[in-house]
Amino acid sequence: MNSDPSFTSTARPESLLATALWRGMAFFLLWMLLMPSLKRGDLVVGVLASVGATWVSLRLLPPSSGCLRFGRLLALLPHFVWESVLAGVDVARRALLPGLPLRPGFVTCPLGFPPGFARNTFATITTLLPGSVAAGEVDGVMVYHCIDTSSPVVEQLWKEERLLARALVAGRHHG
Amino acid sequence: MAEFLVGAAAFILGMVALGLVRLLRGPGDADRIMSAQLLGTGGIAAVLLLGTATGERATLDVALTLALLAAFAAFAFVKAKLAQTPGESRAADSQ
Amino acid sequence: MKLFLDLWTVVAVVAGAFFFFAGTVGLLRFPDSLTRLHALSKADNLGLGLVVLGLLPQVDSVSAGLKLVGIWLLVLLSGATAAQWIARTFRQSGTDP
Repeated sequence: MNSDPSFTSTARPESLLATALWRGMAFFLLWMLLMPSLKRGDLVVGVLASVGATWVSLRLLPPSSGCLRFGRLLALLPHFVWESVLAGVDVARRALLPGLPLRPGFVTCPLGFPPGFARNTFATITTLLPGSVAAGEVDGVMVYHCIDTSSPVVEQLWKEERLLARALVAGRHHG
Repeated sequence: MAEFLVGAAAFILGMVALGLVRLLRGPGDADRIMSAQLLGTGGIAAVLLLGTATGERATLDVALTLALLAAFAAFAFVKAKLAQTPGESRAADSQ
Repeated sequence: MKLFLDLWTVVAVVAGAFFFFAGTVGLLRFPDSLTRLHALSKADNLGLGLVVLGLLPQVDSVSAGLKLVGIWLLVLLSGATAAQWIARTFRQSGTDP
């Protein structure tokens, strides 16, 4: 799992301008969502805010750190929404049952995603899934806190990793 | 419908208030920041319910601001904690 | 149609309130901090999601509906990020951070 060949191919330089344009457009779209107004003053502030947000995002998350394949992530959305519903039901059940059926503990989960953007996104998404909360890494290996260590948490996470490998592109592109 | 929405908002606020017992009892700082997070999520739900009940559009912006504040509170907590344990912070900063 | 939409709202909001209830019970009953974090990051986010889902038929415009969903996504994203940072900080600084 750790030596997934698709993550170790050659680097390809990203176009900074293209990334900036895409992100700028996404931020402006978000602005229009939050402030649906076509008045000139509102639009000017929106453009300025989008430019500022794009500048900050390029500084904090340069294009070389990896990218999302948005369409593919969107295709996986129903699966993850359903899983997070199951996660809520699972926690609610454990909280309300009289015997408190818990077996909390840490498990380590070696991942094919290299450290950085792809792995962080994976950690955030899996934190919403049943039974697992990402808890940082030890010696480069992800650690998860589980609510029930007797359930096959690591196998479940690997299943999600295979799904997400289609949508998360690590820092170096596949060949 | 408005009465129902206000009732639901009151119920959720009651749950938040109950969750704030953790803020008093702790025992650790992590528990306290968690009940602050609960205040964020539950507060947003209550504000959205009340806003829809009264038809006041501006409440959506209030909810949005609450969401931002809850996120900043959590990150401020984590930053402060990492500053307290300097030996460990290097590993955390590497991401 | 109005009756059906109102029924949708009532069912979803009641379900959402139930998950806030379960989240609070978990926060109070679970024995250790990291397990309580599960209650917070999963049950309450689902509760807010259901409340948003229930309110969607009651708003007067598409843009308000999109904004509601946007607020939920923002809370989901920041909640999940905050939860793993709290878990990491807790693990790194020992049993009582």
